[in-house]
Amino acid sequence: MAEIGRVSIRLPSSIVRGDVIRVRTLLIHPQEIVQRDRANNIIPKNYHFVHTMIALYNGKEFMRMELTQGISQNPSFIFPLKVDRPGKLTVSFADTQGKHYEGTAEVKFA
Amino acid sequence: MDTAMVMSRRNFLRGAAVAAVGLPGFIPTLAVSAQSSGPGFPLPDESVESTIKRLFGHRTFQRGDDKMKLELPLIAEDGGNVAVTVESSLPVSGPAAVSSIYIIADKNRRPLLAKFSFTADSGRAFVSTAVRLATSTDVRAVAEMNDGGLFVVSKHVRVTISGCDLPPQS
Repeated sequence: MAEIGRVSIRLPSSIVRGDVIRVRTLLIHPQEIVQRDRANNIIPKNYHFVHTMIALYNGKEFMRMELTQGISQNPSFIFPLKVDRPGKLTVSFADTQGKHYEGTAEVKFA
Repeated sequence: MDTAMVMSRRNFLRGAAVAAVGLPGFIPTLAVSAQSSGPGFPLPDESVESTIKRLFGHRTFQRGDDKMKLELPLIAEDGGNVAVTVESSLPVSGPAAVSSIYIIADKNRRPLLAKFSFTADSGRAFVSTAVRLATSTDVRAVAEMNDGGLFVVSKHVRVTISGCDLPPQS
């Protein structure tokens, strides 16, 4: 998985001022799950998964997700954003190894 | 005096962390990542009752079937990737607004799967994602209002192959 951390964002093809749009995001990430030994005990270690996602519009946070290992590999989300003016959408993920992955998209009106 | 000094030092550290990362949201991670129990260390198994008690205390739930819609497949062939959509007609601004939506799978090892927090800029309370289910289970979506009210909808999913079992490691 050489491309761990790639963030893709997809926006609707035509956006009108005042719309509530559906933002689609995908992060390539293993979202590692808990492993057990033969006695069914949890193996303690720092599992590698994404625990926080923050979405900002023009630098202002509008959406926050607190995630767990209960989210599938390559986490994908669809979430709403109300667009009253054009601007820059930033989606930022943080994982348990302290890494941050960021994706941006420009919102323009048709 | 002592307290004030501690506080200011803490604020300073916090400020430094923000400066380093540029995003205020990731401070808790930074604070714990240096310890032996990092953010990715597994938490103990939890029953759904204790999860709900931990998250919501003794607050009462109202059925939200007329206000929220939880979309899930009836049968999930692969428990590792089950599409979930929560749609709500509840507002995200004003006096009675949704602040967060929780997705809880009753029979998972850790039932809380995700918490989604909305703001007025979201425009609507809606979210769609893919989750892992350990076994056939009820899945609940809980909407928490900013006045403390709680709405819940639930749905049963039959899971053919567990999304959480890995072969045991020797």
